[in-house]
Amino acid sequence: MKRIRLSVFDFMLLLLLLTAIFRASLLVKIGMLFISYLAFWVTDFDKAIAQFSFGMIDYFCSLFMLVIISLVLILKRKKIKQPQSFSFLHNTAVVILYVFLFAPLITNNNYDFQKDLSVTQLLPPLSSTNVLHLKPHHAMAGQSEKFFSQKKEVVKASFDEEILFIDSFKIADSTLSYFQNGMKNSLPLSAVELIDGKPNITTKIFFLGSDELGRDIFTRIIYGTRISMLVGVCAVVLSLLIGVLFGFIAGFYGGVIDIILSRINDMFLTFPIIFFVILILAFFGNSFTSVIVVLGFSGWMSLFRIVKGEVVSLNNKDYFISAQQLGLSGTKLLLKEALPVIATPVIVNTVFQFGNVVLSESALSFLGLGVGSDYPSWGAMINSGQAYLSQAWWMIFFPGFAIVLTILTINDFGKKVSRYFNPRLYE
Amino acid sequence: MNRSFIALSFFKRGATSVLILFLTVSLLFVLVRIAPGDPSQKYLSPNLSPQLFEKVKSSFQLDKSIAEQYISFVKNAFTGDFGVSYKYHRPVNEVIFEVLPFTIIFSLSAFAVQFVGGLVLALWAFHNHKKFLDKFLSRGSILLYAVPSFVSGLFFVYIFSVQLKLFPSSGIKTVGTLEENIFLLGLDYLHHLFLPLVVLSLTGLPIYFKYFRQHFEEHQEKLYTIYLRANGVAENKIFSRHIIPNSLNSIIAYAGVDLGILFSGALITEVIFSLPGMGRLTVNAILEHDYPLIIGCTLTAGVLIILTNLAADLIRMKIDKRLIKGLIN
Repeated sequence: MKRIRLSVFDFMLLLLLLTAIFRASLLVKIGMLFISYLAFWVTDFDKAIAQFSFGMIDYFCSLFMLVIISLVLILKRKKIKQPQSFSFLHNTAVVILYVFLFAPLITNNNYDFQKDLSVTQLLPPLSSTNVLHLKPHHAMAGQSEKFFSQKKEVVKASFDEEILFIDSFKIADSTLSYFQNGMKNSLPLSAVELIDGKPNITTKIFFLGSDELGRDIFTRIIYGTRISMLVGVCAVVLSLLIGVLFGFIAGFYGGVIDIILSRINDMFLTFPIIFFVILILAFFGNSFTSVIVVLGFSGWMSLFRIVKGEVVSLNNKDYFISAQQLGLSGTKLLLKEALPVIATPVIVNTVFQFGNVVLSESALSFLGLGVGSDYPSWGAMINSGQAYLSQAWWMIFFPGFAIVLTILTINDFGKKVSRYFNPRLYE
Repeated sequence: MNRSFIALSFFKRGATSVLILFLTVSLLFVLVRIAPGDPSQKYLSPNLSPQLFEKVKSSFQLDKSIAEQYISFVKNAFTGDFGVSYKYHRPVNEVIFEVLPFTIIFSLSAFAVQFVGGLVLALWAFHNHKKFLDKFLSRGSILLYAVPSFVSGLFFVYIFSVQLKLFPSSGIKTVGTLEENIFLLGLDYLHHLFLPLVVLSLTGLPIYFKYFRQHFEEHQEKLYTIYLRANGVAENKIFSRHIIPNSLNSIIAYAGVDLGILFSGALITEVIFSLPGMGRLTVNAILEHDYPLIIGCTLTAGVLIILTNLAADLIRMKIDKRLIKGLIN
């Protein structure tokens, strides 16, 4: 019996197609919004600039990437070299990449959306609440109003005054009284959106539950992927630059520079770096950029050592000496002669460093020194869940699961990369 | 190898350690100086006259030049005079010595569990080479390695404290335990510290397991092992007399660094279980801008790390005499 082999790219295509099917209506809406936004650029330039927002661009990008990546995968399917086996962690890597790129299409909720705390607070996973829709305050007419209503449907805000989360309701002589966790309130029936004389009630499902502020945990985990990955990639690039540059300088020039850099490196290596990180973040404020910079600066040690060792051994190689004698500048020597040789160990180390940074970022967020409360971060979610441990296990379990899975995937990927470059080590 | 050579090597080694400490102190000085605000501003109030404020400033030596401040800073740091903590209003040394015994006992026991546990599990896995148990332990260690301590810690608290109510979730002793009965007191401490110990050990256990497992496999195929086996030396004897000591060598180098970092505080574990350790003391000092305490804690951690590294090197030299030459440089 022949085993069915599903390659990673097929799996990616499958995910994309599933998204296209399940989110078809949303995709159409995004397309229409894009057309009306383009029309603004032609007719009313000022308004187009005023309405520009990164949230909207995010949706547009997701739509285009969905189309482009699916097309590329379908057309080039035969040409892409297929990996040999199908493993669980391969696919989690694809899923993480997919979540990172298409976060708005997956959830279509705002990660900060909160309303009617008494009803939505600390809901267990898979629970649903009733949503009562109120009549919009302003009648929608004209081109710009049409654009606004389209935008409102696609780009979700963190607050919506036209919906109410309720437990139950009762209608008595043209007033609607609704109950929110035992509290009774009432509304005139004319303020409520009606369908066939009945109030328009829909249900909202909290797939992974909600947190202490009534925010959807699923959405926050999805957007948290972006924070983890972005911080990880930026910090790793920074430490790569520092490590390679310093390592090359120390190895190539030697002498006093080498001694100074090596001693600084020793200091960073022997010291518990987390305290320096916390010190700098606490003194100079923690923000998205400062976390990246600090984590980037605290991760250059191993790269420095590797690069320095390799460059020192390069110094005795004939081709390197002849390149030097030809009069190549230091920059050219680094880029043209040294980098291709040291690339392999550096790449392998970078992947593992990426895992470390993701872990450090979540640990910092857990201690309350992460990217700040503007962005949802897995570590910060666990931190806020700590206070509700006895009531709401889902506030900790799901973000924790996401962290573990991500780090497992990155480590596995690092091992694969290392095996690809040094196949002899793994025989 | 003569005696004076060894003495010179040790001197060099000590000088390097002092240099690293000195660099750390300098970095701390720079960080504290460029941090926004200075300590005298804590005393600023409408009732404080400008003359008195100047006096406060001069008591912190803020009226002197940067160079003079730096010299006195380094001098105080190396003589162990860290001053008075802003928060506790007591000498920094006193505050640190209150938490140091707990930290050292706690991290030593966690380290022992990690090291011995890793060794035993690796031996067990190696004896079942390439069988189910070996694969299970290897996979398990990879999984465990990916679980950060704040996830596993809260998981254990949820299972054992919240659901099963077997262990307390925080603190190190029950309020109102009788101090006289040492046996009961010890039992109470153990009861409180069991979960933190498990959580802290689980972070290092997979690393030691992996190292030991890897080294056993490497040394199994070395020429000297094959030679011994060919000469008919018993497999058990090869293992206990040759493979384990040879593997220990590089692992102890790692363990020295690891233990030092544990001594400076198992921050996350201490935060989860609210234990009075060095890690939490340091971070609280940082968050409250308690400069004397920050400097005291950092230097204490630095000294401990350097000492553990030195101890690790000495043990390695005891095992392998050749290292004396190479290690020191």
